[in-house]
Amino acid sequence: ILRFISDFLAFLVLYNFIIPISLYVTVEMQKFLGSFFIGWDLDLYHEESDQKAQVNTSDLNEELGQVEYVFTDKTGTLTENEMQFRECSINGMKYQEINGRLVPEGPTPDSSEGNLTYLSSLSHLNNLSHLTSSSSFRTSPENETELIKEHDLFFKAVSLCHTVQISNAHTDCVGDGPWQSNLTPSSLEYYASSPDEKALVEAAARIGIVFIGNSEETMEVKILGKLERYKLLHILEFDSDRRRMSVIVQAPSGEKFLFAKGAESSILPKCIGGEIEKTRIHVDEFALKGLRTLCIAYRQFTSKEYEAVDRRLFEARTALQQREEKLADAFQFVEKDLILLGATAVEDRLQDKVRETIEALRMAGIKVWVLTGDKHETAVSVSLSCGHFHRTMNILELINQKSDSECAEQLRQLARRITEDHVIQHGLVVDGTSLSLALREHEKLFMEVCRNCSAVLCCRMAPLQKAKVIRLIKISPEKPITLAVGDGANDVSMIQEAHVGIGIMGKEGRQAARNSDYAIARFKFLSKLLLVHGHFYYIRIATLVQYFFYKNVCFITPQFLYQFYCLFSQQTLYDSVYLTLYNICFTSLPILIYSLLEQHIDPHVLQNKPALYRDISKNRLLSIKTFLYWTILGFSHAFIFFFGSYFLIGKDVSLLGNGQMFGNWTFGTLVFTVMVITVTVKMALETHFWTWINHLVTWGSIIFYFIFSLFYGGILWPFLSSQNMYFVFIQLLSSGSAWFAIILMVVTCLLLDIMKKVFDRHLYPTSTEKAQLTETNAGIKCLDSMCCFPGETACTSVGRMLERVIGRCSPTHISRSWSASDPFYTNDRSILTLSTMDSSTC
Amino acid sequence: AAPRLAQRGRGGGRPGAAAMTWSATARGAHQPDNTAFTQQRLPAWQPLLSASIALPLFFCAGLAFIGLGLGLYYSSNGIKELEYDYTGDAGTGNCSLCAAAGQGRAPPPSCSCAWYFSLAELFQGPVYLYYELTNFYQNNRRYGVSRDDRQLSGVRFALFHPANECAPYQRSAGGLPIAPCGAIANSLFNDSFSLWHQRQPGGPYVEVPLDRTGIAWWTDYHVKFRNPPLVNGSLALAFRGTVPPPNWHRPVYELSRDPNNTGFINQDFVVWMRTAALPTFRKLYARIRQGNYSAGLPRGAYRVNITYNYPVRAFGGHKLLIFSSISWMGGKNPFLGIAYLVVGSLCILTGFVMLVVYIRYQDQDDDDDDD
Repeated sequence: ILRFISDFLAFLVLYNFIIPISLYVTVEMQKFLGSFFIGWDLDLYHEESDQKAQVNTSDLNEELGQVEYVFTDKTGTLTENEMQFRECSINGMKYQEINGRLVPEGPTPDSSEGNLTYLSSLSHLNNLSHLTSSSSFRTSPENETELIKEHDLFFKAVSLCHTVQISNAHTDCVGDGPWQSNLTPSSLEYYASSPDEKALVEAAARIGIVFIGNSEETMEVKILGKLERYKLLHILEFDSDRRRMSVIVQAPSGEKFLFAKGAESSILPKCIGGEIEKTRIHVDEFALKGLRTLCIAYRQFTSKEYEAVDRRLFEARTALQQREEKLADAFQFVEKDLILLGATAVEDRLQDKVRETIEALRMAGIKVWVLTGDKHETAVSVSLSCGHFHRTMNILELINQKSDSECAEQLRQLARRITEDHVIQHGLVVDGTSLSLALREHEKLFMEVCRNCSAVLCCRMAPLQKAKVIRLIKISPEKPITLAVGDGANDVSMIQEAHVGIGIMGKEGRQAARNSDYAIARFKFLSKLLLVHGHFYYIRIATLVQYFFYKNVCFITPQFLYQFYCLFSQQTLYDSVYLTLYNICFTSLPILIYSLLEQHIDPHVLQNKPALYRDISKNRLLSIKTFLYWTILGFSHAFIFFFGSYFLIGKDVSLLGNGQMFGNWTFGTLVFTVMVITVTVKMALETHFWTWINHLVTWGSIIFYFIFSLFYGGILWPFLSSQNMYFVFIQLLSSGSAWFAIILMVVTCLLLDIMKKVFDRHLYPTSTEKAQLTETNAGIKCLDSMCCFPGETACTSVGRMLERVIGRCSPTHISRSWSASDPFYTNDRSILTLSTMDSSTC
Repeated sequence: AAPRLAQRGRGGGRPGAAAMTWSATARGAHQPDNTAFTQQRLPAWQPLLSASIALPLFFCAGLAFIGLGLGLYYSSNGIKELEYDYTGDAGTGNCSLCAAAGQGRAPPPSCSCAWYFSLAELFQGPVYLYYELTNFYQNNRRYGVSRDDRQLSGVRFALFHPANECAPYQRSAGGLPIAPCGAIANSLFNDSFSLWHQRQPGGPYVEVPLDRTGIAWWTDYHVKFRNPPLVNGSLALAFRGTVPPPNWHRPVYELSRDPNNTGFINQDFVVWMRTAALPTFRKLYARIRQGNYSAGLPRGAYRVNITYNYPVRAFGGHKLLIFSSISWMGGKNPFLGIAYLVVGSLCILTGFVMLVVYIRYQDQDDDDDDD
């Protein structure tokens, strides 16, 4: 029994090489080092904001090549998050801002008047804002004064109800400088956590109500040149559940106002006065244009009311327990009985190349979902303008579902519609409330609908709902890889939920970027990140892993076969030093360098042909089939090594010219030598991108093996107890037959592989291989690539050292290789610092 | 100031703003280096394994291999081999008597037998004499480690303190160290052969000189194996205090009368100590290269006198005696030539298949392009 256990353990030790520790080490190294390339990529560098891509985790590089669903936030991700005030609706009238003036637009209640008169009244109004108010007030008709009062209040509300900061340096400068008199809005620098607020305050400033600053207790507003101090009593901060914020101020006249600002869905129900219906229509119209809307309302407190309010707020704020809930209650109490002032509409410009990026992602077989907190109409129109929805798309809607059964019915109807007209692409619009209904009871049905839609838009989503949607997709039976892109704090939950989280380093702070796996500056970089980097990393890691298994199958199988010829006595075929160094020295570097540098296709091709991404989707390169292929290849190679050597020795005839005999160590070394060469050359066959580094490590590995073996076998090592390997390798090399056998076995092994590759390429070419064909001969010659190539980089010193060692890098050679490669690289790369490399470095 | 801090809540705007002002002062500070390495634009050779490259490769390789294969095959065919199984199975010659005598006795009695053969023509030289053992697992791990290289390299301390791997052949029952220790040494092959030549039928047998040197690796004989330092000029005294392995009839320093071929550097011993890879193995016994026999064995009748000591029937093994000539590629080994021929013709075969496929699919591709 003891014997059995010890035998078992000995075999365990013998065969533990199949899954070597070095696999983990190499994979980790590859991931860590490889992730630098993302940060280094100039194409992912945003010049305006001086931001390069950040890699926060190096574990997910290859997942970038496997993404099937992209969930993207809208604001700040698809759009610039640079708000521009466009329109507003005040008291049921719509106005447009043109060059810092408000111009009414559209059908107005008093349409009986001609346009001309209307315009004149407006110019009058605008004049007003530039003149002193007193003179104009007298001349204007009664209704216009009313109008102006409303305007006044509206913009006061806009310029008071916010948390915008002013950069101090600028205000000082403005205050002391010569521009004090004609203070223009642009000279004030506003900083806000929310770009909407910034845009609104700036717009108010352009109109003439300039927010100058806030000290501890007061907010200063310059209304038409006249300074007014408002005492800031309370701020009811924004939160994403209430979707509104409000301030309570004391006007110079002593009246206390509450100004509230928020999403129309959260303000309108609280309103009791004002042009609610008209404003609602206007808000919807704004939304259809893809503008972001906010409603503004106010409430005037009597001093009694204010006391009550003040008390409640104070209590809530000082509560020690359950402060959150109490605060929410207090807010609820305060923000009611509002009088609607109007609505604002700000435009959020799309980032550049969003449409192209989304199109590319879709062509790559990635489903893009837009998750946004915006209104349904806004979201749809933005989706249309950014190419997420096509005009040709059949847009299905699942919105405003109130009850469970209704929702289910609607879903079934949608599913039917999809099956009925399957020619058209489908887009689905879901809003937050319907979604929560759909997710609660009818997940399967909902998933069914979603899977058949090429574009899905979820609007009115709360941050947690975003994460929920992602989880739903993540745990669906296909287990697709999901990617979430977002920029703000509200996207953090979804970024963390998705397999790959990408943060946009935008204007809404860095929470998203910090919590993400990768942070990029612009949405458009996503296409390069996925299509090029993701593709490369996936290919690299897939080959790396399979190659590791292959080479260790090659390594261990002869060992196993040998047991049949040594009575299963656990005799190792190779010397222990070879056993140890095989994975560490002899075969590790080529695969590592391959997995860092391999580019099976030119990056431009990958970027221009997003469809190539489909070639690697669903983990294709690590499928059972390819894995089996590699493993079988490993086994067949191992059989060739072992039985080749076995038959070569045959009935143990002499293989030396002097009739002397080999021993078991020579036999093992023969197998090992063939193996090292085959495995290395096999890597060479896989490599499509031969830089000088690849040449160095590939041929270097083989040369190193030979030199090491000669050295190791050439000395009687005093500290080793057994001298089994003494002169074994040299004896092996002195045998002509062994040389012929090595050549034969290496070539036979590789022929199998070449055969398979060539037949595959010609019989069933993948689109990747087709794409490779189109750009053949684009590269440079083998010899030229061999020339060591130091740029003005970190590798310069290494390069120089290498040159000294190798001494084959003549200056003329370098310039020649450049001229050969120049036309290729300069195609659409503007800068090429490398071409400035002078020959003196060599 | 607490509420004021809280105001900033949404999105934590200030860090972003700070970053913006900072980046305004140091524009481009974060710009990555634009070098070929960081941009993954190192000049590179991008080979593609297409049929147009593989085809000539296959044909060239095929032709080269067939050429080489033919050369190797004929080279191997030119090598002569003559072997004789002298294990002594019943009715296979006069060694069966020895085999029967040694049956079940340990140690077997010394016994002599002979093998008669005749050559019709010259056996082209140089001729090498091998013995072959079958079903003998010199590659068994526990057997293979049972040796002490330090002892064999003549270290005096190691001579008297054999390594533990040698157990159970580390020390004798009396506690004396065994030299050379270990299972490999203990199982040293101890049959011996002499070759006799009868020029004319009925004539006298003349002994053919067997060169028993140069049968071990030069480095093994000169470097790896060393005798312990002589004591008073005597090897026997150097080995005093040790005992030979239990199976040995005489101590290690009496393996040969030649002082350069005795002790640990006895070439038979050195050859034996290089363990074989497979259970069927040959070991070089002698070279025939002296006198009239340097060109080979002339035709005539021969007799090999065999001292039959080594028991192999216990483990079902066989003992063979082989005369073989040697070329640059070693002994007679048709495998290499045949393998080259097979691989070469496979290459050409697949080359043709590939050519057909290539042409057919080329046309198809063209058609596709036309569409």
